[in-house]
Amino acid sequence: MHSPMEQFEIKRLLHFKLGGLDVSFTNSSLWMIIAVILATGVFVVGMRQRALVPGRLQSVAELGYEFIAGMVRENVGNQGKKYFPFILTLFIFILFCNVLGMVPYSFTPTSHIVVTFAMALFVFVGVTLIGLAKHGLHFFSLFVPKGVPWVLLLLLVPIEIISYFIRPFSLSIRLFANMLAGHTMLKVFGGFVVMMGILGGWAPLAFIVVFTGLELLIAFLQAYVFAILTCLYLNDAIHLHH
Amino acid sequence: MRTSGYSALAAGLFGSLLVSRTAFAAGGMPQLDFHSFAPQLVWLAIAFVVLYLVMSRLAVPAISDTLDKRQAKIQGDLDAAEKANEDARALVVAYEKRLADAREESRRLQRTQAEADSALASARFTELGEKLNGRIAEAEKRIAGQRDTVMAGLEQMAGEIAQSAYAKLAGQPADTGALGAKVAAAAKETSR
Repeated sequence: MHSPMEQFEIKRLLHFKLGGLDVSFTNSSLWMIIAVILATGVFVVGMRQRALVPGRLQSVAELGYEFIAGMVRENVGNQGKKYFPFILTLFIFILFCNVLGMVPYSFTPTSHIVVTFAMALFVFVGVTLIGLAKHGLHFFSLFVPKGVPWVLLLLLVPIEIISYFIRPFSLSIRLFANMLAGHTMLKVFGGFVVMMGILGGWAPLAFIVVFTGLELLIAFLQAYVFAILTCLYLNDAIHLHH
Repeated sequence: MRTSGYSALAAGLFGSLLVSRTAFAAGGMPQLDFHSFAPQLVWLAIAFVVLYLVMSRLAVPAISDTLDKRQAKIQGDLDAAEKANEDARALVVAYEKRLADAREESRRLQRTQAEADSALASARFTELGEKLNGRIAEAEKRIAGQRDTVMAGLEQMAGEIAQSAYAKLAGQPADTGALGAKVAAAAKETSR
């Protein structure tokens, strides 16, 4: 019987080396590229006609656009407009990776901590740089809550600093752990179906059916959470209030 | 948001620990294989940059352009509908005004016609009355003329009768002038 971890293995499909760096095309790369192609299909091919009365694919593209546009407008405000394409890309990329991961025999790039951490770190560093560029040293007032006695500040400022620097970890582990746990769970219960055979296997099978629905919801939800937290961090950096 | 972040972090750590224990038992977590990091990161960068370029250069302008156009079209249609509505209202007002004018005009015409009719009728009535009066006066004059003629004949006849009676009584012809005056005076007396 296979280990439930086997599904997360990186398999090199094409071996490449660049300098000393291993840049092999792996199953993870394959599904990232498929996600990019499908997203391009929806957002570019779907919008090709630019119809005033949209068709099905165009409606999907507009829905995704307006969903993220509304999120950025509500959480960041007008100054967030510049970053809207980035947040849309982030959301769509994570969403497509997550959902495509639900296809049997596929691979979920977002189930790897290195991928989610890279994205989270990029967001963290980017947001911090935006804050510093916008406010200079005044940016550090983000760590000092307003209207608090100075004795409490001794306690609160370190907490604020820790909570700030923990952001890339919480952001990346949340997504990675959700993907990991969901897929592992499905695999484990899949194993139960085989183990319990034709007589007892129906119960875990029914669970898998229900859980697959839940996993699809989580696939969307985690992409949403990643995008909205990025918006909130961006808002903190731009407006400096809690 | 922050507390939920921590709980998610705790859950994530707990979950990954739990899973990693079973995974290590089965030969290790693929997520912790450092040799796979470089190819994943390189292809993540490639895929993400490509998708970002596709989104920012193609998709976002296309969608925002379409949404703007749709908004403009809807606004234009709404404005046109508003204008048509106002035009219709103006038409109704103009129609009602014309209707009221026409009613007023017809009433006025009716009134003037009635006045003209009654004036004509009274004019004809007076004309007819005058004509009748004229004819009555003419008839009276004719009657008076005829009566004068008759009376003159009577006078002459009475004179002749008185003459012949005087001649028979007196045996001599009467004095025509004196007798005539007496007869005329008597006739005047009786006709009175």
